[in-house]
Amino acid sequence: MAMYLKGERAEEASALERAAELLGQARLPVIGGLLTDIAGAEAALALARKLSGVIDHDAGEALTRSTRLMRETGACPASFGEVRNRADIVVLIGDAPLARDPGLINELFPAGEGLPRPGDNPRELVVLGGAKQRGVGDVEVTALPFEDEDLPTLVGRLAMAVAGRPVSGKAKADAKITRLAERLRGAAFPVFVYSAADLEEPVIHVVLDMVRHLCLTTRAATLTLAASGNGDGVNLCSAWTCGLPVRTRFIDGLPEHDPWLYAAARLIDSGEADALLYVDALEAEGATPPRGVPTVLLTRDHGRRAAAEIVIEVASAARDHDAELYLPRISGIGVVKAAQAGSGAPTVAATLTRIADLVPLAEAGPC
Amino acid sequence: MLIRLKGGRVIDPAHDRDAVGDVFIDDGRIVAAPGNGRAPDETYDVSGKVVMAGAVDVHSHIAGSNVTMARLLMAELPALAAKKGAAIAPTPAAWSAFATGIRYAEMGYTTVIEPAVIPTHAIEAQRELSRIPIIDVGGLVILGNDDFTLGLLRDRAGPSEGEDYVAWTLAHSKCLGIKLINAGGSAAFKFNARTFGLDDEVPAYGVTSRAILQGLQRAVTALGVPHPIHVHCNNLGIAGNVDTAVATMEAAEGLPMHLAHIQFYGYGAEGPKGLSSAAPRLAEALKRHPNISVDIGQVLFGQTLTLSADILRQFDGRGAASPRKWEIIQGEGNGTGIVPYKYRAKNFVNAMQWSIGLEIMLLAEDLWRVLFSTDHPNGALFVRYPEIIHLLMDKDERTRLLDSVPPEARELSNLPGIAREFTLSEIAIVTRAGPARRLGLADRGHLGAGAVADVAIYTDQADKTAMFGSADLVFKDGCLVVKDGEVVDIRFGQAFQVAPGFDAAIERKLAHFYDRYYGVNPSSFGVPVTIAARPDRFQTVPCLS
Repeated sequence: MAMYLKGERAEEASALERAAELLGQARLPVIGGLLTDIAGAEAALALARKLSGVIDHDAGEALTRSTRLMRETGACPASFGEVRNRADIVVLIGDAPLARDPGLINELFPAGEGLPRPGDNPRELVVLGGAKQRGVGDVEVTALPFEDEDLPTLVGRLAMAVAGRPVSGKAKADAKITRLAERLRGAAFPVFVYSAADLEEPVIHVVLDMVRHLCLTTRAATLTLAASGNGDGVNLCSAWTCGLPVRTRFIDGLPEHDPWLYAAARLIDSGEADALLYVDALEAEGATPPRGVPTVLLTRDHGRRAAAEIVIEVASAARDHDAELYLPRISGIGVVKAAQAGSGAPTVAATLTRIADLVPLAEAGPC
Repeated sequence: MLIRLKGGRVIDPAHDRDAVGDVFIDDGRIVAAPGNGRAPDETYDVSGKVVMAGAVDVHSHIAGSNVTMARLLMAELPALAAKKGAAIAPTPAAWSAFATGIRYAEMGYTTVIEPAVIPTHAIEAQRELSRIPIIDVGGLVILGNDDFTLGLLRDRAGPSEGEDYVAWTLAHSKCLGIKLINAGGSAAFKFNARTFGLDDEVPAYGVTSRAILQGLQRAVTALGVPHPIHVHCNNLGIAGNVDTAVATMEAAEGLPMHLAHIQFYGYGAEGPKGLSSAAPRLAEALKRHPNISVDIGQVLFGQTLTLSADILRQFDGRGAASPRKWEIIQGEGNGTGIVPYKYRAKNFVNAMQWSIGLEIMLLAEDLWRVLFSTDHPNGALFVRYPEIIHLLMDKDERTRLLDSVPPEARELSNLPGIAREFTLSEIAIVTRAGPARRLGLADRGHLGAGAVADVAIYTDQADKTAMFGSADLVFKDGCLVVKDGEVVDIRFGQAFQVAPGFDAAIERKLAHFYDRYYGVNPSSFGVPVTIAARPDRFQTVPCLS
């Protein structure tokens, strides 16, 4: 285990002790980044509770946007597999879904016959407010690009048309929107695909309303792109561990959630937080800690010795060890086998547990 | 270490025991009184108290992706559900895996079965279960609406292939049994069906609900899985659906079957409002079908949340959401519907549901096949079990609540004519001995020599809600974990699984199936034995020969 204090190689015990001391003495320590597996998330939650600290994820903005929307109005999601096999119309909202997952179209429209699906409509892909895409096989692809409007307006006008209300705008675009709305109403299983990170909350509300409206006469759903950095996995883990999603603070062992108040970056910018533990330990992904407070960095990138006051080199989940992660293709938590023999570096879970053991605070009562 | 529990009233219906006496524990097991004069290392004087085996819950939704989505949908549930007399800490943390184990233990529960493990999400279910302290757990994995099962039935595959698939699914998810939920109904929902009966066919597959039910039941029976197939029937919650429940019992054709939360099927269609109690008919049907067991799914008035993989039913019921938000998750196989719901004493239908559940228990002749549950959280949160025990043991308590329901419901209720009050032995049957026996967990639910030393000790008192809400002492595997209603030692239990063998050919077929239709390898959702990061997490329950 290589560890660095202010860029200088340090003894393992002293670096861990120093990390525990920094976090334990902080008025409001924040645990952020959390590009880690489920075991790492569990250890981070346990540490946050012991520290009476905050837990957030690098993708916290998108995660809390989705969870807040759901808590306020519900949700109607479909799994990736159901969309792939049974959706007759797939509507991508904006360019963001394909920018974030370039393989999406090929995966949603694989060659060959899928499982039995409802209705006899041909399968169709629509890109709403984005560039037209090349078709896959015999799948029809249409695009409804912006004209002199923006994506939220386009989504709003489609929702109006789906609800059977008049759409006002350019006549040519109106006709396209009205035709799409008719196809959606006549579909057996229309699905809207979006990235919560790239769509503002009011727009997502409109999409969810549109889905609920379609459900009056058929079934419909949303498919959201997974958050980066195992964000969905960490968020689910937070919910089963303490009952609440990320952006939660522990106070006397009890969790309190607020998507604005407990955003890691805001807490650091505002000076409310005075220490940061940042975890960046997931193969093929990376993140950079916000600057401004003394930081303990757990990183898989073994060349960042000066990136924080305390740098602890850890194993890369899914490369050096088997890892439980949110897997978008099963819309749930699965396991990814290690790609290679272990690097010898400790896991995030083991490291955080060792730090927690060194934090000299009395354990709060069970939550 | 030899422990003596001295002088309590020992209630152990599995051994016809209801008498003052001692219980001895040695090395985590119940033992006979040592005859050689060996002195106990520890003695607890429990005179004046009631000694029972730790309670066993056959059906409670405590873990998995569906439960966690419910947590995210309604973090406020514990606060809304809190009421006088029910010890629910009004904080979202009360929904957590950790709090689940703590609260169960405080009530004297030591084994709980999660009855809806989604095969592709079994890793999350087992991970969550592994974070629930104290209690032992087991999962029932859902089959029957998945395309692989439907394909086998459509293609008239031989029974051995179906058995291999069931065995593979059990091994992959590390579960104790098979759950079947609205057989074919969730698959038909994908084709926009909104109702589905026992003889309806799944579109595109041409397979009836009955064929799925019987096919899976026979596979489970042939494999010797100790817990019979655990069935959530079609037509849940619909007036007149007692016909479906009875038809399902008949479709079992004498083979073992468990029908879950039977209260939700105890509905006749008579009376001025087209809803009546069919509890007497169910009691009679249960008498005729000794191969059938049920759990109740009792409802209590107050806020809860319905959580079910019967997506057709949940979709249909989403308009009744209170508060007005719902989540319908359209996933592989069944999918899940989450609909918050508040049962109101002043609501005729809710009052009938409340009455019917109690009637089914109170009219039952063979309580060994009528198991206690609320289908947590569907009928009520598990933390409210003591209130139900109180109602079963105290006719006056029933009358008091009956007085608060609409007169039309009171007139249709059979409760006024039922004088029965459960004895402590009968409570021990429906909460301990019966569930353990039906689950095939031979070493629990009783206090005979050799049983696991899971023991709950209560102060006998008229207020049964108080009595069963807070155990004086609870031993788990012979260790004291609860004292005066509070957890004093946090340890973690085991998960039960069954492991019937299968022909490896099924693995190749499934790898091909998942690759072709889902673009994934099944190994990505198989539960690793290391899931809990604790040795001996899984205990394999032997199959019947």
